Amino acid sequence: MDLIDKLREIVGERVSASPAERLCYSTDASQVKGIPDCVVRPISTEEVSKVVRLSADLGAPVTARGAGTGLAGGSVPVRGGIVLDMSGMNRILEMDLENLQVVVEPGVVQARLNERLKPHGFFFPPDPGSSNICTIGGLIANNGSGMRCVKYGTTKNYVLDLEVVLADGRVIRTGSRTLKSAAGYDLTRLFIGSEGTLGIITKAVLRVAPLPKARRLVIASFEDAETAGRAVAKTFASGIVPSACEILDRTTVQVLKRCDPNLVLPDGDIILFEVDGTAESTNELAEEIAALCSPTAAQVAMASGAAEMEEIWEARRLVGAAVSRLDPTKSRIYVGEDVGVPIKMIPALIREVSEISERFCIPAMKYGHIGDGNLHVALFIDVLDEDEWTRLLAAADAIHRAAIRLGGTVSSEHGIGTARAEYMKLQWGEGPLSVMRAIKRALDPKGVLNPGKLGLDDESSPPGGEG
Amino acid sequence: MRGRTNEEWTEAEIKTKAEIKIDPRTIELCVRCGTCRSVCPTFEVLGWESQNTRGRIMVAKALREGLTPDSDVLDSLNTCTTCGICTAKCPAGANPPEIVLEARRNLVSRGVMTEAQAGFRRKVNESGNTFGELGDRLGWLTDREEIKERADRVYFVGCLDSYRYPEVAKKTFDILKRFGVTLLPEEVCCGSPLIRTGSDAKKLVDKNLAQMRKIGAKTIITGCAGCYSTLKKDYPPEFEVLSVPEFLAEYLAELDLKRLDMTVTYHDPCHLGRESGIFDPPREVIRAICNLEEMKATREASRCCGGGGGVRAGYPDLSLEIARRRLFDVPEGVDAIVSCCPLCIRNLRDVGSEVEVIDLVDLVERAIRSPDLRSK
Repeated sequence: MDLIDKLREIVGERVSASPAERLCYSTDASQVKGIPDCVVRPISTEEVSKVVRLSADLGAPVTARGAGTGLAGGSVPVRGGIVLDMSGMNRILEMDLENLQVVVEPGVVQARLNERLKPHGFFFPPDPGSSNICTIGGLIANNGSGMRCVKYGTTKNYVLDLEVVLADGRVIRTGSRTLKSAAGYDLTRLFIGSEGTLGIITKAVLRVAPLPKARRLVIASFEDAETAGRAVAKTFASGIVPSACEILDRTTVQVLKRCDPNLVLPDGDIILFEVDGTAESTNELAEEIAALCSPTAAQVAMASGAAEMEEIWEARRLVGAAVSRLDPTKSRIYVGEDVGVPIKMIPALIREVSEISERFCIPAMKYGHIGDGNLHVALFIDVLDEDEWTRLLAAADAIHRAAIRLGGTVSSEHGIGTARAEYMKLQWGEGPLSVMRAIKRALDPKGVLNPGKLGLDDESSPPGGEG
Repeated sequence: MRGRTNEEWTEAEIKTKAEIKIDPRTIELCVRCGTCRSVCPTFEVLGWESQNTRGRIMVAKALREGLTPDSDVLDSLNTCTTCGICTAKCPAGANPPEIVLEARRNLVSRGVMTEAQAGFRRKVNESGNTFGELGDRLGWLTDREEIKERADRVYFVGCLDSYRYPEVAKKTFDILKRFGVTLLPEEVCCGSPLIRTGSDAKKLVDKNLAQMRKIGAKTIITGCAGCYSTLKKDYPPEFEVLSVPEFLAEYLAELDLKRLDMTVTYHDPCHLGRESGIFDPPREVIRAICNLEEMKATREASRCCGGGGGVRAGYPDLSLEIARRRLFDVPEGVDAIVSCCPLCIRNLRDVGSEVEVIDLVDLVERAIRSPDLRSK
């Protein structure tokens, strides 16, 4: 009996080894590629457990995948084997709002969860640009975040408990349903951001937050991105914590206006400051921010109301993929796109990125969660031009190294996957990396869970399955 | 496609199309962000990556690079209803249905197609209609004398209303003929089913064209969203093409309609709404007659009925499941679902809508005040 027959015994027809299917599961939104031997779409923890146990017996790699929106190849089966498409496990199992929590399967799409929570006055704060697409499982496995994380924290702040299938097929719980716990190692956090290398998440208990009564948006435009960056540092230093603080450089603003000509945004490099709370407190904070920005800003304005605010945020969420609107011969390539630095180093990072962009003659659109030091750099090229590819990759490398040099990280929220694996040693040093490797070996001695990721491979790591 | 002489169009257009290779730039616009994946109605039902828009673009790209077009490849491409919600949502400005249609054309031109595609093509070519019907296409017309030899305006009926909903064809013509509209004496399928499934429709197009020219038509009016799209995109641009709702909205004052005490909802056909931007005219007509309550997903964001792109013919179960899910968008308590495309109407009816599904023309006919002007 071959692998497919054995898998069919577990999941019926929800397995495929067709060339078309394997092709479509061979990448995400990054440039990382790896063809799986087959794809399985489980619908229960039991099925996941059986598939993982089978793969452990056969030594075949297993790579979990949500909506495949990743930007670092985290869900790409670079060593072949089985892709577990978790997006079919998409039920919201429990709305336990008296305890401020919900229980979900990993395939639930972030925005669908928030649609369910909204009428009850709650929300799940981590809100990546891909909110309408990405799954909760993917968010947890990458410790994803988003625009409002500057105030609310990242995904790791909202996971109370996970159900995880381990590399040998055992199923464990990692936490509890209490809002806090001081009982032993924090296994939940161990699996958050582990990119499927330690276990497969099959259920999650998430903490939710009450929706604020009011939000206000301050739109400040500046002569250049560095001045904008300094205004952000000044705002934070004054003690204000905005609920979102985004930078949109002038190129980004052009792209946004191309996508939606009705968008009310000034030209120049813009900072969007959102504050939330009560009507009174938001008015007060918005005025304070406006006053702080005024001396250096070219223009400071307030969004007129909730509708205009949502329009701006909606456009902002998808701007990363929209650079082709400026020039249809150019495509956005997601490399070097997720660096982060301490807030006060932001002006230096912006300066370095601009210099790199000029040095390699690769245009760069800069936007992102500047409030938590996370700058998304959108490099765009003519993908049919090989020379541009070479310069693009060199520019991305320089951006990663600049972030590390400035005391930052190569990934703030998109993850490491394969695309950034080579920087793990540079960012962490051998000590911490060897601890990560030890954890990986302890939990996955055969190296079947998403091998080839996070820069964890060393001489003693087993090579995994067929590529 | 616009701006060339008519001769160039009619002689060579459709054949040339089959030889065009997919432009790599249209494919490279896709950054695989997955926005389309989250809205693709086919994917919502089937769940496989190859059967959502992002996957189809990957498949189309791989075909250029030598992927063997096996049955899974054909299913990937052929399960697209070409509803275009992916185009509307794509942040990068890609037009996935065009890529899918181009890939289908390329494969069919190489003789690669499913049995369903081949059978469908044979049937349409042999009979001149989608159903392989051999009966009189104008069987619903009580008096053939009403077909004029010369007229500025022609009502293009379409296969579905001709053979499945002849009462709608009759009601439509009864309204339109008051405005000097005539019919093609030997109308055949507009060609849409063939073009959408990758085949050549030149024979059908030429037959209709010759009659339109002979009549001296300046305006072609049609009540089918699929025909509208085809007449607009795949026929030479020598005629003005109008949808029935646009025509009705323009002549609303002359229709002498009374108010009806009912509330309806409106289903936007993808090819009329999202593709052609005709959102307001049908709503204007409805509001002149009764209350309109919008569906949950409406206008640009409207969900597909599952009937288009050859999916109803090739994948009937999938098609009807998409229709079933569209019914979730119907607001509670409405008296009817109104639409302007017989393909949508058929799918929503066939899946068992508990709410009556009617054509806009049915609604208008009920509201016409003068008994003399109503269809007999």
